[in-house]
Amino acid sequence: MARATNPRGTNRPAPPRLSGAILERFSRLRYTGALLGDLEEEYHDRLGEGRGTFRARMWYRREVFRSLPSLAAHAFRAACARRRNLKRGDSWMQSLLQDIRFGLRSMRRNLGLAAVIIVTLALGIGANTVLYSVVDGLILNPFPFPDGDRLVTVGTEYPKLGSQLNFVEHMSPAEYVDIRDNAETLENIAAWDMGNRQVSWGELNDNVFTGFFWGDAFDALGLAPIRGRGMTLEETVAGEPVAVISHRLWQTRFGEDPDLVGGTIGVNGNPFTVVGIMPPRSELYGMDLWIPMGVSTDVFPRQARQFQIIARIADGEDLESVNAELELLARRTEMEYAELEEYQGWRMTAATWTDANVRTIKPAGYVLLGAVSFVLLIVCSNVASLLLARSSTRRQEMAVRAAMGAGRGRLMRQVLTESVGLAVVSGALGVALAYFGTGAVADIVAGIPFVAGAVELNTRVLVFAVVVSMAAGVLFGLLPAIQDSAAGLGSTLKTEGTANTGGAGRLRLQRALVSVEVALALVLLIGGGLLINSFARLTRVDTGFEPEGVLSMRLTLPWEEYDDVAIGSFFQNLEEQVGGIPGVEAVGRGAQFPPIAFAYRRLATEDLEVTDEGQLPVAMTTLSSPGYLEALGIPLLGGRWFDDTDTPGSELVAVVNEAAVARMFPEGDAIGSRLRVGDDDESPWLRVVGVVGNTLNNGLDQPAFPEVFANHRQVPGWSNQLFLLVRTSVEPYGVLPAIRDVVRSIDADQPVYAIRTVEEALAASTAPRRVAANVLTVFAGFALILAAVGIFAVVAFAVGARTREIGLRVALGAGARQVRMLVIRQALVPVVIGTLIGLGSALALSRLMSGLLFEVSGTDPLTLTAVTLVFGVVALVASYVPALRASRLDPVEALRVD
Amino acid sequence: MPKRKFLGEFEQVVLLAVAQMRGAGYGTALRRDIRERCGRSATIGAIYATLERLEAKGFVTSREGESTGERGGRSRRYFSLSESGTDALRRSRDMLDSMWDGLDLDAPADSEGLEVA
Repeated sequence: MARATNPRGTNRPAPPRLSGAILERFSRLRYTGALLGDLEEEYHDRLGEGRGTFRARMWYRREVFRSLPSLAAHAFRAACARRRNLKRGDSWMQSLLQDIRFGLRSMRRNLGLAAVIIVTLALGIGANTVLYSVVDGLILNPFPFPDGDRLVTVGTEYPKLGSQLNFVEHMSPAEYVDIRDNAETLENIAAWDMGNRQVSWGELNDNVFTGFFWGDAFDALGLAPIRGRGMTLEETVAGEPVAVISHRLWQTRFGEDPDLVGGTIGVNGNPFTVVGIMPPRSELYGMDLWIPMGVSTDVFPRQARQFQIIARIADGEDLESVNAELELLARRTEMEYAELEEYQGWRMTAATWTDANVRTIKPAGYVLLGAVSFVLLIVCSNVASLLLARSSTRRQEMAVRAAMGAGRGRLMRQVLTESVGLAVVSGALGVALAYFGTGAVADIVAGIPFVAGAVELNTRVLVFAVVVSMAAGVLFGLLPAIQDSAAGLGSTLKTEGTANTGGAGRLRLQRALVSVEVALALVLLIGGGLLINSFARLTRVDTGFEPEGVLSMRLTLPWEEYDDVAIGSFFQNLEEQVGGIPGVEAVGRGAQFPPIAFAYRRLATEDLEVTDEGQLPVAMTTLSSPGYLEALGIPLLGGRWFDDTDTPGSELVAVVNEAAVARMFPEGDAIGSRLRVGDDDESPWLRVVGVVGNTLNNGLDQPAFPEVFANHRQVPGWSNQLFLLVRTSVEPYGVLPAIRDVVRSIDADQPVYAIRTVEEALAASTAPRRVAANVLTVFAGFALILAAVGIFAVVAFAVGARTREIGLRVALGAGARQVRMLVIRQALVPVVIGTLIGLGSALALSRLMSGLLFEVSGTDPLTLTAVTLVFGVVALVASYVPALRASRLDPVEALRVD
Repeated sequence: MPKRKFLGEFEQVVLLAVAQMRGAGYGTALRRDIRERCGRSATIGAIYATLERLEAKGFVTSREGESTGERGGRSRRYFSLSESGTDALRRSRDMLDSMWDGLDLDAPADSEGLEVA
């Protein structure tokens, strides 16, 4: 202020400005204004007393400086009081709100940066949420059954038959009864067989996947039907005509008819009373119709193993005690039935229903979940790196806050509040993305066969998303928090104007982050590379037959209406008429076709040489017809295939594949020998007349299994359920309407189902691998881009920080090339370190993936080299761009930068 | 509520000055009063720091007064003794009185006298 005019109208000099300003600046008093007013009043009084301007001003200055200690003490006490208040709960909340307000303000100031962070994080969190919803829906909680930890199924393995642990179609009724009547650690034990039944209701006539039950599985499942009731044990034993249908069938085929319970439906033409409707999503293996088995267990031979069981662990028992008891039972059976060789060393193993059913997809699910968490870690290190770069502007603000009494913890909390805030916003956006993502993934998953469960955003998934977001916020906020708060406590105020000095520590951190990103991305790339390599090999594998242009469909003739002869003539008639359809090149029928088989039988040859490993001979037994070989394009290697000379009256013949020859006729004398399918002595002998090439009949990733073909024309009574295989010269589905017409003309009541091309069947068999390979590749690509961005950002930042130094070098005669090399060399150091760490980690982690690999080792040198090269190129490009900029610096401009 | 029941010496002095001025006391006036009565020169900063502390403890209240050109447009702030301030002064005096009771510093040192106190 200039000269103030006093009320008396005379001009008097104002008090010293600087002293007043100093007092104002240091005082934390509420009444600083009143104090200054008092000082000025007395100053004017002194002037008025005529003591001279100089002395009055001196007095004023002295007064101010003598006051400073009291004012400082006062400020100190006030700061202490504030801190004491902060430690109390309510003010903690207040300071949190303050942090959030502050965070929002600083976000607004840096909208671009905040947007980049939020979008990348949201993508990362969204991808994690989608993947977790898949793992939750398909692996962790695929079934709606309450208390799922105690719902078990029992698997068996027969070392003597070379069989591995199997939970499906593996147990005979007699074995079920052994468990039901003896196991004390289990209760509510139910068993069932699976098949197809025609369901008719008004206009409806449909083939439905059906279970034939002993015991009420609802007791075991712990679910009550949503309408009506389940089946009673008595009904299942007596074979009462009662039926329970799935919620799905009720919805899609019965129009949710509320009066269906108590009503009558036709099952293979017989009237059945619907007694109950199951809750949604509670199908076992996708069965839509549950009916009683209806025959006593002793009708079936002990080795007719086509059942599976479900049970509850009894109160007070656990899985371990169940398995201990099952082991005892197995040994008892082995002794009791010593004449049945396959019981030697057999094992029964209980597993929870969930574990038993997710075995095949579990590894893929966990590998992908691991991969997507890697992606999020990379996103976090990128965001941390961005925040570190920003902290150059941040540090002064922190320094001011520190000077004003904020402690280090307080500063860290501020930074962390901001990063967690960013993460929460990103998490919300990520969940929104995941909402659409899970919809898309659910559709893909629905297309994979034999996968139970549903992919959805449920509470568990949302909790996961929240936890992941919070963790991400702390993770990427921690380094900047430590760095910024440390800067705040240092004497940063002094370095005002030279924002880039003191950046060395930050740069070190950023380089470390680059190493981390590179390592993580490399692991993902190697994993993706191995999976793609495996999948490519799998699709290129020689299947041993020609799947292109072959349409398959299934028919099941009801025993109630068809006897042996009728079955034979139905299929013979069908084949002949379908063969006449234009565009059809060949047609045959078969009980199964590669790559999936279900019928494995014991086999006996006349020599009955029990084999090398002490295993009993087992083979797939495939009923087929003369057209089967041509329809599938399997090569005949010796002898002959079935032809029209084979009739029900002629000598029964068989054809074997190469694997069966190697296994059962090692002398090479297969043709002309005789063999018998099954265990009992009553089975007829079959004369081997030919040898065909191996097909991958046991899954594309397994070697060919010994296979024996019998001619369905000779033994039509062996099966009422076969696939029709039609090789076409036109688009396969193009001939479908004509085939349906043929079936309708023979028997209008017989539905055709499970219609798909053999190529589609092959693709479905590799679906989990394909999905895993594709998804991991997308993740790896994402990781590569993120790592490139991370490298670029850090190199650019480093160049920015060294602008002066580079300018100096150029001024002293360094050439553009030298400058570029200097920058790139420095940039590549963390990349090389990260690459080494990544390679090491990939080697260590490849073990976890071995189950997903095919003909590729986890340490496949080709994949490792290729991925490392790709990565090296990307890293070079990412660092070359800022290096180029550095080499073009104008030294004069560069030296002016402060 | 005040945490400390007893006043510091300077606090007592300032509080007594406020009481003496009967509501008309402001910074400079209080300082002048203290200097005249005690011969002790306190800085204006110390006076204000103490006044604010006393106000925070509830011993004094303050109100904004007139502003003049001589004061650079800044208002005076008048302090007056509150009820709890009055109580605090009484307690301080009682305490000091009871400490002084029976004590004569001019008399020769007498152990018996001290015992009586």
